[in-house]
Amino acid sequence: MTHQMTEPILSIRNAVKRYGSLHALDHVDLDVAAGEFLTLLGPSGSGKTTLLSAIAGFVDLDDGRITLHASDITKAPPERREFGMVFQGYALFPTMTVRDNVAFPLKVRKRAASEIADRTKECLDLVQMGGFADRMPHQLSGGQQQRVALARAMSFKPQVLLLDEPLSALDKKLRADLQWELKSLHSQLGVTFIYVTHDQEEALSMSDRIVILKDGCIQQQGAPGDLYNRPRTTFVADFLGKSNFIDADITGRHSDILHCVAKGAAFDVQTDNVDEIGNKARLALRPERLRINKPGVELLAAKVSQVSYLGERCQVIVKHEGLGDLLVSCATWQTGIKPAPGLEVSIGWDQNACVVLAAD
Amino acid sequence: MMPISAFRIFFQTGAWAVLAFLVLPLLIVIPVSLTDTSFIGLPRDGLSLQHYENYLTDREWLSATWTSIWIGVVVASLATALGTAFSIGCWFLSNRASQIARWILIVPILVPPVVQALGFYRFWVQLGLIDTYAGVILAHTLLALPYVSISVFAALANLDRNIIRAARGLGASVWQTTLAVVTPAARPGMMTGFVFAFIVSFDEIVSVLFITVRGVTTLPKMIWEGIQENIDPTIAAVATLLVLLTLIATAIGALRRS
Repeated sequence: MTHQMTEPILSIRNAVKRYGSLHALDHVDLDVAAGEFLTLLGPSGSGKTTLLSAIAGFVDLDDGRITLHASDITKAPPERREFGMVFQGYALFPTMTVRDNVAFPLKVRKRAASEIADRTKECLDLVQMGGFADRMPHQLSGGQQQRVALARAMSFKPQVLLLDEPLSALDKKLRADLQWELKSLHSQLGVTFIYVTHDQEEALSMSDRIVILKDGCIQQQGAPGDLYNRPRTTFVADFLGKSNFIDADITGRHSDILHCVAKGAAFDVQTDNVDEIGNKARLALRPERLRINKPGVELLAAKVSQVSYLGERCQVIVKHEGLGDLLVSCATWQTGIKPAPGLEVSIGWDQNACVVLAAD
Repeated sequence: MMPISAFRIFFQTGAWAVLAFLVLPLLIVIPVSLTDTSFIGLPRDGLSLQHYENYLTDREWLSATWTSIWIGVVVASLATALGTAFSIGCWFLSNRASQIARWILIVPILVPPVVQALGFYRFWVQLGLIDTYAGVILAHTLLALPYVSISVFAALANLDRNIIRAARGLGASVWQTTLAVVTPAARPGMMTGFVFAFIVSFDEIVSVLFITVRGVTTLPKMIWEGIQENIDPTIAAVATLLVLLTLIATAIGALRRS
């Protein structure tokens, strides 16, 4: 973790929110470090937006506490919390110019006119919208509107910026550009970002830390690389990237290496897990950690059943007699072979490619 | 070029015929207003402006006109203020209760005017509002409210609900959010509502006949009584002026929009 949890700027303790019998938030604990880029990631209905709304003050918790700088803000109205907020639908004020939108939080705070003018210009320049100050929101494209919304959310210098799927309404190319901009804005400003998304690529590319939610509970949290390489559950391994799942029997242990066997294939897995010999273990194997080669070169013989060409990568589904279908993702320029349906190949992996998952 | 089919000629003729049917009865007042006779009829020996002169110099006609105008403005202002507050409130809540409240407010449009007028009469007698300006203003405001609330609802229909959250998250209280963000977005609906409310009040007659006696005389009431008691062509002059005024207002509106 890049940010030490010595003094969290924001703490959530035992947050509970129920809608009827549904637990939108089920006893959630979360600490956010100052200056951190934290992403709440999960499928729809996982509680990520409810959690963000509770932090912003738009949802009253049934139980639990939220503290900002050690002061309790659980019951504070949204306007007292001093968080900047950015929405998926931009939520610009349609009757105000771009300039007035950005100046709004400063006017509400009754700042001096000269300060408002300076700060507004500064913020618009920061998001490269300086030339659009006199436009109305409906005259701007989606990407431009979202930039203005960002400038507006930063203009009163909040310590925490809450972003609710801000890029989801934009097309793919623009989304990628804005990801870079958000990341650089974050490091320039030193502001804490709490970012909600259902898009795992977005989460991986920008965050210092990702919190994965499911059914109102935190499944796992950690730096993007840790989460991707060491998922703890089937859900995380499947939601963050793709995985092949293999149910194996544990046959032995050698210091931190676990020996497993599944349908004629042997797996050695590095783990600190203390499962007993004879138990079942569920293994996750990332498609890009599998190698595909000419027959006989690698450990297992398999047959190509489907190929999907993606330009820089090639996704191949191979069929192994015991293990069934396995997804292999390989760089097209790396393979010595040209995968095509029906081709006999061999597949293999490094010892540390597999991860043992806990039961869901 | 598109071939001119019999089909098309048939429908175009039909459309113009319907339009003529709608407009011609309105236009008949123009020659009648210019009549040189002292009763309602078409001009006989020549055109005359005497009935216009009569309208513009007659104290009763002018006073009735002025009454209708100021009552209309007061009604439009009250209805716009109340209707806008109601609509914005419902928009904020947008729950089941507010849906029901919206329907209840629209009921005055659905109830037959005579029934409504009877209701006003029974009630106003008890409240001591019969034959008072306050009574007329109150009745007209109630009649005009649905029009204002409908047009303000229409203006707010496409407003992103997240702007409330955005404004409050940026530090604005509920009150500041309402004034600075929601009300400006409602303004086009408020203006339409104001105009509608004025028109509803300006040409309302049924309730006025039920709840006024001699103390309050509006322009529609004056025209109504004029037709009953004598057949003075001044009525046609007044009607022509009203038609012209409407045409001018519509034209200005159309020009400003284009």
